[in-house]
Amino acid sequence: MSNLTIQWPDANAEQVEAAKGRLDVARRRLVARSPDGILSVLGTVLDQWRNPASKWRQRFMGEFPALSGFSPEIVSAGLDLALEHWTGDALAEAVRAELDSGRRSPSHRVAPFSMTSVLLAGAIPMPSLLACLLPLCVQSPVLVKSASRDPITPNLLAGSIAEVDPELGRCMEVVSFPGSDRESLERFLAAECVVASGSDETIREINQRVRPSQRFVAYGHKLSIAVVRGAGCSDDKLPGIADALALDVALWDQLGCLSPVCIFVVGDDARGATGRLSHALADALAREQSARPRGEVDAEVAAVIRHEREEARMRAANGAEIVLRESEGSHWTVVGETDATWRPNPLHRFVRVHPVPGFDELPDALTPVVRNLSSVALAGFDDDLEKLDATRVELSRLGVPRLCPAGRLQAPPIGWHHDGLPVVLPLTRFSSFESSGP
Amino acid sequence: MSPAVAHEGGNRQSLDRAVLGWMGESDWHEDEERFDALAQGLFAHQFRHCPPYARFARARGITPENIASWRDIPAVPAGAFKEIALRGFPSARIVKTFRTSGTSGQKRGELHLDTLALYEASLLASLEKLLLPDRVDPGGEGPRPGRTHIRVLAPSASEAPDSSLSHMFQILIETLGSEASGFDVVDGHLRVESLIHQLRDAQDREEPVVLCGTAFSFVHLIENLEAQGLGFRCPPGSRIMETGGFKGRSREMSREGLYAALEHRLGIPPAHILNQYGMTELGSQFYDSIRVDPNGPRRKLGPPWARIRLLDPETGQAAAPGEAGIVVVHDLANTGSVAAIQTADLGCWVAGPDGEPEGFEILGRRAGAEARGCSIAADEMLGSVA
Repeated sequence: MSNLTIQWPDANAEQVEAAKGRLDVARRRLVARSPDGILSVLGTVLDQWRNPASKWRQRFMGEFPALSGFSPEIVSAGLDLALEHWTGDALAEAVRAELDSGRRSPSHRVAPFSMTSVLLAGAIPMPSLLACLLPLCVQSPVLVKSASRDPITPNLLAGSIAEVDPELGRCMEVVSFPGSDRESLERFLAAECVVASGSDETIREINQRVRPSQRFVAYGHKLSIAVVRGAGCSDDKLPGIADALALDVALWDQLGCLSPVCIFVVGDDARGATGRLSHALADALAREQSARPRGEVDAEVAAVIRHEREEARMRAANGAEIVLRESEGSHWTVVGETDATWRPNPLHRFVRVHPVPGFDELPDALTPVVRNLSSVALAGFDDDLEKLDATRVELSRLGVPRLCPAGRLQAPPIGWHHDGLPVVLPLTRFSSFESSGP
Repeated sequence: MSPAVAHEGGNRQSLDRAVLGWMGESDWHEDEERFDALAQGLFAHQFRHCPPYARFARARGITPENIASWRDIPAVPAGAFKEIALRGFPSARIVKTFRTSGTSGQKRGELHLDTLALYEASLLASLEKLLLPDRVDPGGEGPRPGRTHIRVLAPSASEAPDSSLSHMFQILIETLGSEASGFDVVDGHLRVESLIHQLRDAQDREEPVVLCGTAFSFVHLIENLEAQGLGFRCPPGSRIMETGGFKGRSREMSREGLYAALEHRLGIPPAHILNQYGMTELGSQFYDSIRVDPNGPRRKLGPPWARIRLLDPETGQAAAPGEAGIVVVHDLANTGSVAAIQTADLGCWVAGPDGEPEGFEILGRRAGAEARGCSIAADEMLGSVA
């Protein structure tokens, strides 16, 4: 006898509505609690996630890799590195740094939204973890729509919060419905504050559905790069630089907005250093493949990788001094280019290394991507800190939101200004108190 | 022609004559020996006269002397046409250059031609055989039907002189089109009202109409007809040929969704709507089989002088039956440039009526597939592939 399941056409929408109703009830208790107490609970939760032996990490490791397509080694290494400094204390400090002045001021008050809807995207767990936690930090109950590629992270996080503090656990609800379910999406997006991650197309679509009276915080898709000082690629420094960059590339299979799409080797000996770095990086990526294998890719991606390799081979055969190093399958590719011309990048551990002869040429080289830059990793500046400072200033002037050492791209501090935005302030609203006289 | 003769020949004029002769034959059938001889002869010619291609082949250890069949001929990546002039004749002999589409600042691929004879003979033969088979007299004798009412949802060749698509449509109209035929994209805009007038006229006169254009131009037309609440019943025999993708140009639709909307708004059933697979870098095109084999599975068919290989993207070896593979086109119409071109598209063999792989289908990006990561570079790459 077969089982017959009857589902009302609007079942998902009803579930969204029911979740909102539960959050509305939970909110009344949440706003009455002490902010420090909430941060303390969330800090405890975060510390549990940081511990590889905790049951939440164990359950995560048991379920997430197969669903996400990342190898277990990558997931484990990615979490270890990213969570290394995401302590409960660091979370509390980041939140207080932004909110304390507002909380103590007699002239204004920081207030939470009655509800924050968080639309998650992709299969990289770190931004999902943080996006779910932050509204709770400011006493706003959070309604989360899990990403189709990662239903694991928000549900386990909700479970881990509920275990530590059932009352706070009731302030987070996770729903799931297809993006094509307009009725559910409308109800989901009715919250006072909406946080969305995704492609430009997704952000545009959500933006059209959010009213001007709502707060809309959007994190679009971005990309990152690395800038290496050519003169800093001495024989003794090169292996360390290559290992650090290979880690940045390998983690999350180069698919995150913190993953370097390409590397610019700048300054004296840029061309020579590009070649040497390309070879060293290839060796390091080969080691990464042994230690932390890339996930499988579908044929569509493999086809693009093959095409770009062939294209590089064609240019190399015709006189361009290109370095092409590649794995036997599509697992990793390094193309040492002859100039800074931006070229397509299939990701999945496919890196182009570009020479830029002068630091003054770097802004022009970055022009095609500068508005989409998330982070820039810097390497090879150890023996020229003046140049390091100047490069940082120049890149920040161009609008780059984050600069970090190579090897740390995938490990932003918990209080980092994602896309240049404050951490929790966008999730709050201010009420100003004005007196009648001067 | 045996491969040995082809090697010795490798003469451009004799190769052109041989390929043009094949294009002039109304009876299409696969002829492995003939194709192999011409392909090897053409490789020998292109190896000798197109130095960038020769260097690419040599770097892979391949020369005309050490290949056993046309399947061993190295295929250049389509992207190479953006980087290098791939032609086997001096620039002074260029009579036409087609360019791939692209935004300002982007490099565009270029196909240089020293003759349009093969290009036009190939496209007309395929259009007549696969889009308008009911026009062709199978025996090659007797009067042909009159000219056809053709409307093109693309700019004319004079407005887009470097567009191979516009050139193709221009030739189609000049050769087969009636006086009412013409282009409905002017100054970069689809002239919807004019096209509506044409459709109404065709409907009233019960005259079949052939609509050709890019997929996104048809989406644009559908949006306009929806907004105006208009619909037509195009007379029986009408058909649509669409080509290209949608991404970034218009509302994204599945091909099934587009065909359903076209049937609803224009009264042309999916069995009369064909997708064309072509590239600026190619002299020949492939069309859905639906007009020549209405009862078989929809698959791409091309002329016998253009062959397809599907390669496993990981190994580069022939893709196993049923598996997706990179589409490599070997097009004998490309005598002046390079005949073997590796695309970035994925395809899959489709069995014909006898159960053997006969045509292929292009595999697009999986509908609704969400990106795993949040890198914008992935969006761009997948967009360009879709």
